[in-house]
Amino acid sequence: MAETPLQLQIRFFAVLREQAGCSILKLATTARTPAELYAELQKSHALTFPANLLRVSVNERYGEMQTPLTTGDRIVFIPPVAGG
Amino acid sequence: MFELTATPIDPADRARRLAAPEAGAAVIFEGRVRNHHLGQPVTHLEYEAFDALAQAEGEAIITETEQLYTGTHVHCVHRTGSLQIGEVAIWIGVASAHRAAGFAACRHVIEEIKRRLPVWKKEHHPDVAAEWVNCTTEAATNLTLSAYHTRHASLPEVGAAGQAKLTAARVLVVGVGGLGCPAALYLTGAGIGQLTLVDGGHVELSNLHRQLLFTLAEVGAPKVLAAAARLRLQHPAIEIKTHQGDLTATNARALVAGHDVVLDCTDNFTSRFILHDACQALGLPLISAAVHRFEGTLDVFQRGTGGCLHCLWAGRTASELEPQENCAGGPVFGPAVGVLGVMQAAETLKLILGLAGASAQQTRLVNLLDGSALTIERLARPDCPVCRRLDQLPAPATAQPSERETIWINDAQLAALGPTAKIIFLLEPGEMAPSTGRSNFLAIPAHDLAALREFVATGPVALSCRHGLRSAALARLLRAEGGPEIYALKAAPDQS
Repeated sequence: MAETPLQLQIRFFAVLREQAGCSILKLATTARTPAELYAELQKSHALTFPANLLRVSVNERYGEMQTPLTTGDRIVFIPPVAGG
Repeated sequence: MFELTATPIDPADRARRLAAPEAGAAVIFEGRVRNHHLGQPVTHLEYEAFDALAQAEGEAIITETEQLYTGTHVHCVHRTGSLQIGEVAIWIGVASAHRAAGFAACRHVIEEIKRRLPVWKKEHHPDVAAEWVNCTTEAATNLTLSAYHTRHASLPEVGAAGQAKLTAARVLVVGVGGLGCPAALYLTGAGIGQLTLVDGGHVELSNLHRQLLFTLAEVGAPKVLAAAARLRLQHPAIEIKTHQGDLTATNARALVAGHDVVLDCTDNFTSRFILHDACQALGLPLISAAVHRFEGTLDVFQRGTGGCLHCLWAGRTASELEPQENCAGGPVFGPAVGVLGVMQAAETLKLILGLAGASAQQTRLVNLLDGSALTIERLARPDCPVCRRLDQLPAPATAQPSERETIWINDAQLAALGPTAKIIFLLEPGEMAPSTGRSNFLAIPAHDLAALREFVATGPVALSCRHGLRSAALARLLRAEGGPEIYALKAAPDQS
């Protein structure tokens, strides 16, 4: 049985925004976790930033790279922060 | 109050708004744009924020800080957009009744902001391309960390490979008190990658003489939050998880799972048995320590090696054991918990590094009063129900030890053993024998095992000592040698 694609919204900030060349991306994907999604984006959007240094936010909350995603989720990949 | 703003911050205006009649102290931190970074001149900065999460995270940081430092009131505002040299990028003001909590809270807010607020800054240089701070290859390899660990990693027994093992290790510390504080501090310094702290308690003034992660500023704060904040200052890369609550039979296995080594730094037998059973069930090594006044014991429990905690206590239940050794609220010599906690950290590191550690078949007794140390075999009991059937662990409260398995007895039970039953008081070096007027009472040096064995052969014996630790340990030792009629007396004879 073919998996139903998930409809997701991804926002990019800082170094990822510059690499992706856009701030917001809406896509349909077979990725089921943020880790799988990032691997897909690395190919489709030439993202070179290493996945092991990223954290992820799902629907404006910090989540895990292995958390299962559902349709409509809003994803942000968070490179190392530098506030203050 | 937390705010993100794209317009310049006016520090004087912010400071005026911080004034409050109950605040005896106002501590202010301003983070300003600097004209250099890592030896490079900087012309200006650009800040970018993930607004929705930054607002929620900023508010969470302030709520946590006000919970951690009683009586503080925190204001924080963070800039976004393009900032020139000298401009204020972040302004933090803390109003508090007293200075200690104010300074500590202000420091805590900026450290947490730097660690977790989703804000990025791009540095612009006069000659080279602009770059996002912390997102370069140099930041990823982190030269600072190799310098941090150089004196440890240069030990042949550690090395770069060993240091990598420590960085990959996940360690659980249950109990952030006298044992947990020094244990966690040394594990942090060693570069353990992930540390989980479990404790439901709050910092009390009477903790401070031995729980040296905490200061006067944290009195009243949840221990796990105060400890995590202190440990993060110690190591730049440690990941600390906290569980603010007690270990229970319900949550024990879930808390233990996902770790490589577990430290038992609890102060009561109920938690000790629950934690031990969860570790045995999941096959995780448990480094356990307990302290009574000047003395402590250290045990490494590994499933299938040596006796388990139930073997050690001869089937007695937590509730039976509690009165003898519950040290919550009791007197305790600060360095004793310090030494034992650091020994727990040492055993943990050696286990991760694959170095020969303390045997999992022995109990170590350390006495800080006379400086002595004693090692006792901890053998598996062939009839131990826990070692035998790991999948059906009996709840400590329902276990029914036979009289034969009972180590501790009281005066009445001793009298029931007949007229030949003796009390032997174990003397520590320099200690005088207590005078009891009893005919069946005698005192011998604790280290004179040959004399003890002779007495045990002549009839029922109840061992006694000043603190009740050594008597129980030696009674178990002599039983393991085949002396059935040996016990430990519940109270020292001159106190009964």
